[in-house]
Amino acid sequence: MHATEVLGVTESASDEEIRAAYLKRVKEHPPDRSPEEFERIRDAYETLRDPRRRMRDMLLAADPSAPFTSLFAGLEPERRFVGPNPWLEVLKKK
Amino acid sequence: VHQETFAAAETRVRQLIANARHKTALDQAKEVHKAYRSGASEALLIDAYAERIRDLIRQNLTVEANSLLDLVRERYPSAVDRLTGLAVSAAARAGRLEQLVGPLNNALLPAEHRAAIELAIQEQVTDLAALAGCPVLPPEHALRQAAASLQRAFEAVTSGPVPEEALTLAEISRRSPLAPWKMLVWAIASFYRRDDEACLRYLDAVKTGSAPARLAPALRCMLDGKAGGQLSAPSAELVSRISGDALTLKHSIEELDRAFEQGEHERRIMDTIRSAVQACRRSAPEQVERLKQHISVRSAMERLDVDKTRGAMGAPSRHDAYFYRLFARGMEQEAGHPSDLIAACSTWNDFRLKAVEEGWFTANGPAAATLYLHMAKVLRDIPERTIRSFEKAARKGNGQPIDDLFFMRPEKLYERACVLDPHSEAFSEWMEWTRTRHGSQAERVAEAWHKICPHDIEPILSLMAASEQRGSFPKALAYLVKAERIDGVNPEVRRARLRLLAGNAIRCIQRKKPALADQSLDEISELPQSREGDRPAFVAALRYMTAALREDLAGAQKRRAEIEQFLEGCAGATLLIFAVAAACKRRELRTLESVQNLAESERAALPATLARLTALAKDVQFNMQVPPSWMAEGAEQFRRTHRTLGLSQLRMLGEAALQANEPGFAYAISTAGLERGNPAEAEFLFLRAQSLPATHFERRMVCAAAAAKLARQLSQQDLAGKAVDFLRGPFKDGSIELTPAQVGEILQKEKKQPVFPKSNRQGPNYRSIVGDRLCQCPDCRRDRGEEMEGLDDFDCELEQDEEFAGLEIPEDMPLEIAELLLQETVRAVANGESVEELLARLGGEGLPQTRSRKSRRK
Repeated sequence: MHATEVLGVTESASDEEIRAAYLKRVKEHPPDRSPEEFERIRDAYETLRDPRRRMRDMLLAADPSAPFTSLFAGLEPERRFVGPNPWLEVLKKK
Repeated sequence: VHQETFAAAETRVRQLIANARHKTALDQAKEVHKAYRSGASEALLIDAYAERIRDLIRQNLTVEANSLLDLVRERYPSAVDRLTGLAVSAAARAGRLEQLVGPLNNALLPAEHRAAIELAIQEQVTDLAALAGCPVLPPEHALRQAAASLQRAFEAVTSGPVPEEALTLAEISRRSPLAPWKMLVWAIASFYRRDDEACLRYLDAVKTGSAPARLAPALRCMLDGKAGGQLSAPSAELVSRISGDALTLKHSIEELDRAFEQGEHERRIMDTIRSAVQACRRSAPEQVERLKQHISVRSAMERLDVDKTRGAMGAPSRHDAYFYRLFARGMEQEAGHPSDLIAACSTWNDFRLKAVEEGWFTANGPAAATLYLHMAKVLRDIPERTIRSFEKAARKGNGQPIDDLFFMRPEKLYERACVLDPHSEAFSEWMEWTRTRHGSQAERVAEAWHKICPHDIEPILSLMAASEQRGSFPKALAYLVKAERIDGVNPEVRRARLRLLAGNAIRCIQRKKPALADQSLDEISELPQSREGDRPAFVAALRYMTAALREDLAGAQKRRAEIEQFLEGCAGATLLIFAVAAACKRRELRTLESVQNLAESERAALPATLARLTALAKDVQFNMQVPPSWMAEGAEQFRRTHRTLGLSQLRMLGEAALQANEPGFAYAISTAGLERGNPAEAEFLFLRAQSLPATHFERRMVCAAAAAKLARQLSQQDLAGKAVDFLRGPFKDGSIELTPAQVGEILQKEKKQPVFPKSNRQGPNYRSIVGDRLCQCPDCRRDRGEEMEGLDDFDCELEQDEEFAGLEIPEDMPLEIAELLLQETVRAVANGESVEELLARLGGEGLPQTRSRKSRRK
C-alpha cells in the first residue's frame, strides 16, 4: 500500500493536509494499542514528508496491473426508497 | 394373475407420477380403474387426480384446477377430506381469499384443515391489504390485525427511513402464518439502514418456500453486490430501481477484470470494455476518462489491438500526465526486452513534460530530479551498444537531435538529477553506475560530488583512489588528510596512509629522488602499523633502494641485513629486494642470484617464503614479481614439503602461482588444499577452476559454480562473490545452479584428479551437469576457446567498438592480436614493466598463430 493510501490523502495533498491526516490516523491507531499499524502510519508520514521519497512514492503509485474495480473503490451502490409496489411485483410473480 | 396384473399397472402409474407425467398417469389410472373397479384402483385414481390438480395449481391454471377438483369431489365423495389441502391451495393461488380463510371462522375446524390453510396463507398470500380487509373474518381476527400491521410496516420500510423501535410488530407471533413477513420487514429496514449483517440474519430467518422468501434473492444480490444474472425479471427490475446503475457498473467492471485476468478472447474483452465504459458513463461519468486510461494501458500490456480498444471505448483515452505515468509503469512491468525499458523512459519523459504542464511539479525542482534518477535506474543494466543502436535509430527515424534523446542515456539522467537536486544519494547512484560502465568518468563524478557535498567521505576516497592509480601520490595524500578529518576511524582511511606513503616512496625511487622517498619512509616509520607483521621488511627494502640510489653501499648492506633478519633468511630477502626493485623500476637492482645457489634448507623452505612474501605484498598492496626459475623451484619443493604448510600459506601460494601464470603449480596447490577437506574445500575448488587451462571450459565452469555454492553454504560471501564474478566474466551466461548432491559429486571427482591435465580430454566429464546450458553464440564459443569454423560471417563490429572504446586500433591489425596486446599491456602496466620489457617478453614468447578468417580477409 502506498503512503498516500495509508494516510488517506490525495497525491496533491498539501503538507498541512498530510500532517492533519497523520495526526488523525495516529489517534485512531495509537502506538500502545496497535504498534504495527502505527509503524505503517509513521513510515507513510515520513515518506510523504520527504519530497524525494514522496516523489518516488508518487511515481511508483501508478499500478497498471491493479484491478479496474480499485478505480471505483469508493463507489457504493445507492439504496433508493422505491415504495412497496416494485417489491410486491416480485412477490406476485412466482 | 389378476392381482399381479393390477400391481404391475399400479407400479406403472405411480412411476409416471414420480416422473411428473401427471396427465398420462391420470389417463392410465382411469383405464386401470375401469378394468378393476376395486378400492385399490379408486385410491390410485384419486392419487392421480390429486397430482394432476396440484400440477395445474402450480401452473397457475386455478380455474381448471378448481373444475377438476369439483368433479372429483362429486364423483368420489370419500375423497373430499383428502382433497381439502388442494382446495385451499387452489383458492389461495386464485386469490380467493374469502374461500381460503373462510373456514377459519369455524371453531371446530379440524387441525389438519387449519394447518393446510395456514400453510397456504404463508406460501401464497402476497396481498396483505386484501387479507387485512378480508370481510369473511371479523375485524378483530388476529390474522386481519397481523396483516394490517405488516401492511403498514412494509409500506413504511420501503418508502423511507423507519426507526427500529417503530418496527417491533409484537402482535405477530413466531407461529403466525405471517411470521416470515415480519422477518422480511425487518430485513428491508436493516438493508436501508446499511446494517447488512442484520439484514442477512433476518433474511436467513425468512422461511424457505414462504411468499416473502421470493424477495430474498434480490435483497442478497443488493447486499453482496454480485451479478444478478439468475434474478427473475421483476427482481432485476427491483434491484435496478433501488441500486441505480451503480450496481450494473460494479458488475461490468468485475466482468472486465475477469476478462483480462482469464486472458479471454479479444472479442470478449472488447465486449466487456464496451459495457464497462457505457456503464461508467451512466453511473460515474467523472471516472470515465480514468477508466479509459487504465483500459488503454492494460490493453497495450496485453498486446491487444489498439484500434479495436479505442473503438470499444468509443474514443481514445486522454493522454495526460496520469496516463503517461501509468503507461511508463506498465512498460517497466512488462519489459521483456531492453527496448521496452528504453520505451518506458521515453514515456517517463512524456510524463515529465505533461506533469510540468499540469503543475504536478516544477521543471527544475527536486521532484524532476527524482524522476531522472528513477529513469536512470530503469536504464542502468541496458548494454551500451543497445542504447547506442536505439539512439541511432531515433536520430535516423525522427531526426531528433542528440540532446533531445537524453532520456536514453543514464549518464545524462544522473547528471541532470545531480544538477537539479545535488545530494549524496543521487551522486552515490551516479558514481556506482559510472564505476561499472565508464570507470574513467568516475573521477569526474566524484569531483562534482565532492564540490557539492565536501563532507561526504565516498567521493574523497574515490578521488584518492583515482589519484593513487594515476601515481599522483601527493594529491592522494591530500585527499587522505581530508578523509581523516571527516572519518578517521574508517577502515579504508586507516589502511590508506601506509599504502600511499609506500606508493609515494616507490614513485620517488622511480624518479631517482631518494631524499623525497626517504621523507615518505620516515613518515611510514612513525606509523604504528608500519611495525606490524613483515611490514618492517618492506620498509627496509625501500630504504635499501634509496641507499642503492645514493650509491651508499654500507647503508644498502645494512638494510639487506635488516631484511634478512626480519624474514629469517637470505632467500626471502633476495626475493623481496627483487620484487621491490621491479616495482620501483630499478632494473639495475633487479639482480638475482641463481636459485640453485641457495642453501638446501632455504630451497626447501622456498614455498613457505613465497607464501610469506605474497602475504606481505598483498598487505602493503604492491605487485609481487617472482622470477620463473624461482617459481619453478618453489613448485618443485612444494611437491615434497606441501604437508608442512598451513592453510593460509597454501592460500597465498595459490595466489602467487596464479599471479605468476603458473597454472600447473596452482593446480598442485589446489590438490593439496582439497586434501585438507572442509572448510577450505570451497576456496581450493575455486583455485582449481582458475588453474585449469582455458580449453577445459566445462570443468572450469563447474568447479567455479560448485565453489560458489559451497562458499555460500559456509557463509564465505567474499569467496562466493569472486566465484560468481569468475563465472560472469569470460563465461558470460555460463552460470549454473547445482544441487548439493552435484557439488559433492564434483568435489569427489576433483579430489581424484591430483595431476594437472596435459590434454584437453583429460579430466572428469561434467556434460551431464552442464547439459545444453552453454551459450552457442560465436562470442561465447570463442571465449571458450572452441573451433570457430563456419562462423566467419559473424559480424563483431559492435564488440570491437566496446572492447577498444577510446583506443585506436591500427587498421591492419587483426582483432585477436589487438586483444592480446591489450591484455599484455594492461598486465605490463600493472607489473611496472617498461615498454621495452614488454616488447622483449612478447617477442620472446611469440604470439599465438590463430587468426580468424575475417582477420585474414582484412
